[in-house]
Amino acid sequence: MSTETAKGLRQPKRANEKLFRTLGIEPVPDEKKVEEAIRHLDDFRNKLRSFVVTMENCVKCGLCADNCHTYLGTKDPNNIPAGRADLIRKAYKRYFTPQGKLFGPLVGAEELTLETLEKWYSYFYQCSECRRCSHTCPFGLDTAEITMVGRQILFWLGIGPQLHTATAGAILKTGNHMGLTKAGIIDTLEFLAEEIEEDRNGLKVEFPTDKPDSDILYIPSSADFMLNPNTLKGAGMFFKWVGANWTMSSRITEAGNFGYLMDQTRIQREMVTRLYEECTTLGIKKIVWGECGHGWRAAKMYVASYSDLPGVAKIPMTHIHDEVAALIESGQLDLDPTRNSQKITLHDPCNYVRACGLCDQMRVIMRAVTSDFVEMTPNRERNFCCGGGSGVLFDDPAMYEYRILASNKKAEQVRETEAEVLCAPCSICKAQLYPMVKEHKLPVEVVGLIDLVGHALVFPEE
Amino acid sequence: MPFVEIEGKQVEVDEDGFMTDPAAWFEACAYYFAKGEGIEQLTDDHWKVINYLKEYYATNGIAPMIRKLCKETGIPLKEIYELFPSGPAKGACKLGGLPKPTGCV
Repeated sequence: MSTETAKGLRQPKRANEKLFRTLGIEPVPDEKKVEEAIRHLDDFRNKLRSFVVTMENCVKCGLCADNCHTYLGTKDPNNIPAGRADLIRKAYKRYFTPQGKLFGPLVGAEELTLETLEKWYSYFYQCSECRRCSHTCPFGLDTAEITMVGRQILFWLGIGPQLHTATAGAILKTGNHMGLTKAGIIDTLEFLAEEIEEDRNGLKVEFPTDKPDSDILYIPSSADFMLNPNTLKGAGMFFKWVGANWTMSSRITEAGNFGYLMDQTRIQREMVTRLYEECTTLGIKKIVWGECGHGWRAAKMYVASYSDLPGVAKIPMTHIHDEVAALIESGQLDLDPTRNSQKITLHDPCNYVRACGLCDQMRVIMRAVTSDFVEMTPNRERNFCCGGGSGVLFDDPAMYEYRILASNKKAEQVRETEAEVLCAPCSICKAQLYPMVKEHKLPVEVVGLIDLVGHALVFPEE
Repeated sequence: MPFVEIEGKQVEVDEDGFMTDPAAWFEACAYYFAKGEGIEQLTDDHWKVINYLKEYYATNGIAPMIRKLCKETGIPLKEIYELFPSGPAKGACKLGGLPKPTGCV
């Protein structure tokens, strides 16, 4: 059934049943899927006010259309945020409103079918949950919440992309997305310490792991261990410069949380539980988060309410950009901006600027560590997504093509700045933009923000 | 899980065509996956990368940082992309029987 109905729809490669079972999910057979989905929708409308508000209040004014990078890139009406939400709204009307029950299609109500569920899978994984549509909606409707409901129900039915599902499997096994082992973590960090020593005139930077009695727990993105060495190095150099008693943990080497992107129950909670168990084991007094957009939102906004452990709210949690910006503003860092002298622009990760209030801090840092900073337009909370948000980093041909289309708007913005360097301080943005700048033939290098801080920091012993 | 036949042996692969058990790898697997990646011939440089990945995985249970791979094999990233068009994390790992990297890659 699914292969037949999926015809003509752009869908990511899906995970098999065996993988779902490792996550505690027994995939629902096709003949039961619709019934189960309606039952879940009923649960959501009874417990989630944001869901009901969005279902009930959209007037189809159309303002979201031209504010969505996915619609601008694909011109597919189902990628208009209001149209995408309608894939659920039609069923909501049919089963939960009197007018929908009585008048059906006349009032936009429609039976839920397997075909529609296939559309959910296609379009809820083309939405990057960037919330630019929510920012521009006159009613303030948060359409990303609808994507989240759609993805959650699909997950419970046993439908999900191989990428997200396999990543969830790695979370349960190792506490990070890449499946990093302790041996791999330590080896990589030793390698980076050697590189710094070579590049920075013998400068010695330690990268402690699982160190008891540490004050600060630094949470890096696990992708930094494969793709973004300079982000890890920058963090290490920053902590050395300020003389912090810090550590990373091999049990929770992950700033992201793919649970937040597909299963906001069991998988999302796993990361939170590990985080606070590690804080207790290592005697942590403060948590500092690394460069990851969705992960910082999942941490800053949801960790306290997700944890069952007592006393967790007493441990303060900040983002490394907050830390660096505060020390710059109080004049405590010695930085040489001429070390980053190329023309550079900043891509605002959506979750930082539209969900976490992390915006001016990035500018404070950019001005202090670079000498030729130029803003792209629009920027800050009006910035467009990189096109990879919420982990839509698929590499099967149809979805890879989608990623190129979804980054058209970003490419246009970057090109207009004539910058040589593109700072994108989030792991998903980096993973999306490394190949996308090549696809769009943009002559820019993609870097993180902490990378630039490390480069600009002046050490007396260098 | 699907199986593919390589030299008369049934080899289990995941949805993306990566081997599910790195220990089940044998040399012919590299030639088999190379075809699917559009790689005509396996040169000494291909083997240098594959062998380093395999050794590193055997010791550390994970693929190495890409910068380390380049440094240790002496092959610059640009050339690794020429050897393995879908990149070091995907193409090269596939030929060596390593699992497909997950997360933000």
